[in-house]
Amino acid sequence: MKREDFDRILSKEQEIAPSSGFVVSVMDAVQREAEAPPPIPFPWKRALPGLTAAGLALVWVFVTGISLFIRETVTQPLPPELLSRFALIIEAWKTVGASWITLALVLSLASVKFSARFVFGKP
Amino acid sequence: MSAAEDQADVEKVVAGDTSAFENIVRRWQGPLVNLAYRFCRDRGRAEEMAQEAFLRAFRSLAQWRREAAFSTWLFALATNLCCSELRRIPVRTVGLDDIVEPRDHRAIDGGLEHEDRDQVVRRAVFALPPKYREALILFYFHDMDIATTARSLTLPEGTVKARLSRGREMLRNKLSKQLGEPLVRKEA
Repeated sequence: MKREDFDRILSKEQEIAPSSGFVVSVMDAVQREAEAPPPIPFPWKRALPGLTAAGLALVWVFVTGISLFIRETVTQPLPPELLSRFALIIEAWKTVGASWITLALVLSLASVKFSARFVFGKP
Repeated sequence: MSAAEDQADVEKVVAGDTSAFENIVRRWQGPLVNLAYRFCRDRGRAEEMAQEAFLRAFRSLAQWRREAAFSTWLFALATNLCCSELRRIPVRTVGLDDIVEPRDHRAIDGGLEHEDRDQVVRRAVFALPPKYREALILFYFHDMDIATTARSLTLPEGTVKARLSRGREMLRNKLSKQLGEPLVRKEA
């Protein structure tokens, strides 16, 4: 088949007329949309002081925790019991190849996200 | 269909006169329903999609920037809706390889009767992967105007040309057997 054949066949498409109630049906939907109350906006003004306080508290807890940890580890070494537990965790991590599993999971997730962009349209 | 009429009605609607939207619906109902119909070949579903397109247009009317014609914006919105709707709930199609040759071989030259052939070609378009199918459907809907097709798909013209070419190539390859014609490769 030549391009002209495709052009001829695909150009002469059957035209349909919308049903008689189409305009009324659309306008009903539009009216309902217009009469619906607007969505309640998030009360940023009221929430902002609370959110700021929560954020600051989180930062304070984080900084205090880090500084306490550093102070403790500098003044006295970690107890051998804790050290051996750490060693066990690291050993188990190496045995099961957790690094590779993590890497594979991250790559799978990335590839799923990437292909979804093609399947479900533009981001 | 006048662009000035569209603009005047849009301004009225944005100013709060919802009834002015009816003029827009009346002017564009035919093209939008037909556009949707070409995507799904189902009158009921086409009207549903066209209605949803009008509703979305109503919601986002204020976002229409006057740089492009209202019709361009409306078609792009409707195309986007049709494409995503059909990716969500696809039309029942058969694969390109499964298109069955019609049983009636009346033509003397060994090919199919014209009507049969046209139907096979149309069904084959529906069996194409979405990006080629969408480009072909819109290209012929917009009377083979590449620029309008590209605007409706919000894609560069070069990409649309490439998709059309690849789509036709796929159709040609798959249909050559059914239509009993030698394979004519590559278009200019």
